[in-house]
Amino acid sequence: MRNLVFRLVSAIPVLILVSVMVFSLLHLLPGDPATAILGNEASPEAIAALNEKLGMNKPIIVQYGDWVYNLFHGNLGNSMVDNTPVTKLIAQRLPATLELTVGAFVVAIIIALPSGILSAARPGTWIDHVCTFISMLGMSIPHFWLGMMMILFFAVKLGLLPASGYVSLTQDPVANMEAMIMPMIATGFRQSAVLMRMVRSSMLDVMNADYIRTAVAKGLSERAVLVGQALRNAMIPVVTTSGLLIASLLGGLVITETIFSIPGFGKLMIDSVFRRDFTTVQGSILIVAVFVIIVNIIVDVLYTFIDPRIKLDKEDK
Amino acid sequence: MENNRTRRQSVMRMICARFIRDRQAMVGAVLVCILVLTALSASVIAPFDPIFGQNYDMVLQNPGTGSYMLGTDELGRDTFSRLVYGSRFTLAAAVIPVAFAMIIGIPIGVYAGYKGGFMDQWVIMRVVDAFQAFPSLILALALAAVLGGGFTNAMIAIGIGFLPNFIRITRSQVMSVRNLDYIQASKSVGCSDLSIAVFHILPNILPILLVQMTLSMASAVIAEAGLSYMGIGASPEQPSWGSMLRISQGYLSVQPWMAVWPGISISAIVLGFNLFGDGLRRAIDSKVRH
Amino acid sequence: MIRKTQFIIFFMVLLCLLVSGCGSQKTSQNEWDGTLKISLRADPPRLDPCYSAAVVDRFVFQGLFDKLVDLDSTGKIVPMLAESWDISSDGLVYTLHLRHDVKFHDGTDFNADAVVFNINEGRKKESNRKSELTFVNDVKALNDDTVQITLKKPFSPFMSVLTDRAGMIRSPEAVKKYGVDFARHPVGTGPFVFVDRLKGDSITLEKNPNYWGKGDKAPKAQRIIYKIIEDPNIALVNLKSGQIDFADYLPFNQIESYKTDPVFTVSDEPTLGFSGFYLNIKKDTFADTRVRKAIELLIDRDAIVKVALSGVATPGRTAYAPMSFAWTDFDKPHKPDIAQARQLLQEAGKDQGLSFSICTDTNPINGTLVQMLQKMMRDGGIDMQIEKYDFGTLLAKGKKGSFDALMVSWSGRIDPDQNIYTWLYSDSSNNYCKYNNPEFDQILDEARVSLDMDKRKALYSQASEILDRDIPYVFLYHAHNLYGMRRDVKGYVPSPDGMVKPVSMYKSTD
Repeated sequence: MRNLVFRLVSAIPVLILVSVMVFSLLHLLPGDPATAILGNEASPEAIAALNEKLGMNKPIIVQYGDWVYNLFHGNLGNSMVDNTPVTKLIAQRLPATLELTVGAFVVAIIIALPSGILSAARPGTWIDHVCTFISMLGMSIPHFWLGMMMILFFAVKLGLLPASGYVSLTQDPVANMEAMIMPMIATGFRQSAVLMRMVRSSMLDVMNADYIRTAVAKGLSERAVLVGQALRNAMIPVVTTSGLLIASLLGGLVITETIFSIPGFGKLMIDSVFRRDFTTVQGSILIVAVFVIIVNIIVDVLYTFIDPRIKLDKEDK
Repeated sequence: MENNRTRRQSVMRMICARFIRDRQAMVGAVLVCILVLTALSASVIAPFDPIFGQNYDMVLQNPGTGSYMLGTDELGRDTFSRLVYGSRFTLAAAVIPVAFAMIIGIPIGVYAGYKGGFMDQWVIMRVVDAFQAFPSLILALALAAVLGGGFTNAMIAIGIGFLPNFIRITRSQVMSVRNLDYIQASKSVGCSDLSIAVFHILPNILPILLVQMTLSMASAVIAEAGLSYMGIGASPEQPSWGSMLRISQGYLSVQPWMAVWPGISISAIVLGFNLFGDGLRRAIDSKVRH
Repeated sequence: MIRKTQFIIFFMVLLCLLVSGCGSQKTSQNEWDGTLKISLRADPPRLDPCYSAAVVDRFVFQGLFDKLVDLDSTGKIVPMLAESWDISSDGLVYTLHLRHDVKFHDGTDFNADAVVFNINEGRKKESNRKSELTFVNDVKALNDDTVQITLKKPFSPFMSVLTDRAGMIRSPEAVKKYGVDFARHPVGTGPFVFVDRLKGDSITLEKNPNYWGKGDKAPKAQRIIYKIIEDPNIALVNLKSGQIDFADYLPFNQIESYKTDPVFTVSDEPTLGFSGFYLNIKKDTFADTRVRKAIELLIDRDAIVKVALSGVATPGRTAYAPMSFAWTDFDKPHKPDIAQARQLLQEAGKDQGLSFSICTDTNPINGTLVQMLQKMMRDGGIDMQIEKYDFGTLLAKGKKGSFDALMVSWSGRIDPDQNIYTWLYSDSSNNYCKYNNPEFDQILDEARVSLDMDKRKALYSQASEILDRDIPYVFLYHAHNLYGMRRDVKGYVPSPDGMVKPVSMYKSTD
């Protein structure tokens, strides 16, 4: 309990730091929003006027103060490009990223769970070696290259799937799946690598634990033991790792979304950085940070609550 | 004192022996060596000039055309030669960010882990948290742009992104050894904190840090490829595998082989670092567990 | 048991329906549903002609807004919202006679007051049209259908300016109502009405039932959907599969395969623009004209167009593209002359160790081009480094003058003045290289004031010759647009300004 309070309180300086970091990084970038937004076809007066309007001429501290003040009133500001409220922009772009995240995670589970359990059940055998090697590949193959190869094979050569053209889930589920299946697999494969190792090692640990040995000695069939005790207990660190993986995906899908042209949150962030749309970047990063912090706190709390023994393996990342 | 040193030496020897016996680890080591050797002897191995060997009559050729083993790119340059020279960038991408992160991160981590207190809890760890809450690509990209663009700055930007991890790991390792008997003994004898850190703590945590180093090198290579893919990093003529990948996407329908070779190379080298690091970790872990 | 099988059958039937459902979606293309899907290579930042700065905005404007005057396919200025116009003999007073049967999408009347309102808005400090309207002294409505614009000085590009955003008339009611948010509720008089927009994804327009254009000039499509597709490869795939009907950007390097494609055709259209790079005259390296000329002599423009642009461009060495009235044969570049270049360098004392860096953006075509330049420079004994920046940074460097050479291009306008003045006139806003030549300035000033086309053409030729001598900017080529459209898309008429005008377009399988 005291730990939870500490974590919550310590989140405050972190958020302050994040806000300062994102703010200063953006303002250190060469160029200014008006020039980036208006381009080289704009007159210097228009640029100066836009900069003035965006508040770029005020001292940095004042700009920061204004932004934070608005934050406390629940206002993330408006996009510098076209004045859309940042919250609305993010809300528009989140569904695609969330869908990708969930889909990739499902793919990761489908790959990692069976292979992890299998490897743990038969450690040292060729199954174990193959599964471990595949997970190594998952960690080593750049997921964007995998995406490119999938596009090459399935879209260019075979013409089976579209190379892109995101259609929202509500609009046309089939077309949506056609567009999303490749990025989901490309991202999911990479995620499955870490997950698989986690499953394997935590299952091995649990299976070597005394209470499992007792169960086996008592004569329960191996399968019953596996499914019953080991799996349930092994899943705990897996759940926590999954939580962290999902958190990392929120900001980590930038390249995937770029390759497959998915109008998601990651792409919004990167485009906004290039366009010097400060408010959108600031708002987005803050949301990501809050999300990551919350997930971390939940994961940490879960850790300490559920099984103190698991703490030993926490450093396995 | 002497006892510790000889004990450490025999432990090192044991770790090395375990490592060599581990097949997967050795595969990783071989791959890494291939990278280093290729990078060092690029000018000898590569048959063509990777930047100026442009031949506008031989653009986008398939592998095996003439003496172009792996084909040519959009300017008629030999892909194999570019790949070979690109290994230098890969090596730099593995080394520069990690060296940067280690040189700065390890001392900070040691300080945080050993001293603890306000500085550790409320300053260092909070800064680490803040960095890790940032989406890593965006951070690297913005940093690279702020630093002025180009390959080296991109590598430093990636290195800055690795700092939190090194600080964290160093710190937790230090925390687990700082209560060991002989550290306490040294302290009571009057050794300065600095000498304890350098002569006693560091050698103990070095193995884990080495594992983290190799694994980070794997991540760094992928990070460089990712940044290059987004257009940040090496300038267009430099044959970094990441930018070769980026350019190849525009020619996917015209000459798909351009995308295949850099990707395979990156995957192979990253696999190498991962196998190496994993093998190292296994060699060390077994010492801890059994 | 029975329930389980029933469930499975039910599920299979559902699956079949689903699959056939999407299958039939594709085959029902035989009957056109009135929707035309056009791809856009970027998400228009601001759908407000007064504040717009991006080329893609202009694409969407073609459907939403009418202009005072328009360009026909030969580049001639033709009536649109203005039925006719008179220009006073001293070139200072423009009297526009407007159509009187036009209403805005919000039902309000289009009249002279609306035009006055728009032009005055355009002249405001924050407006992006300010520089185009800078010579306007006064604008007033003589009556409901007549507008009189008085200029401070004669300005011959003025009518051309009115064929673009400065001449697009927005509903004053809507502007007053929405203010800054007008871009999210654009209201004009055009053949299509704004319906909806999903940022980063699409913009939907619907047919304007009250459009003043009748018969041939009436909009044929029921709906236009602009889909944002940034990657030309993806646009290509979507074009092939029918998810879009018209692609605004296709990868150049596959052009050979397009020519024989059964499903779509391409339109390779020259634009009015130019592409190349500035040489920073303030730097010692480039202070000597001979050095700059030598650099230009080393460049093989034909090779560049062939290799980097797959032939989809016209090599050129002036600011004027073939479709501009100021174009002459002089634009055709000469072959590179390495010997001459080396000699010039020697005379200037820079034949050893000359080195400079060129700044470029992340566009892959520019990346290829700049590598070719690097090799060409090397053949002349010059060491050129390449620096790559994102576009925002690149522009910032340009404006600050912190570069040696900087790649920058211009999409081009119909009037030659608009292709040269802000770029190379002393102290002009886009004159990043700080070229300062009084003789050149004088020619430009004279040309923009004269209404005599032949005289202007001669003056611009002179200007081109001076630039070819001084090389403050190395002109490389005039870009082309490569549009693709499915074979059942009809009614597309290429426009010299590269705009795709959806009003005449429709789909038909005959």
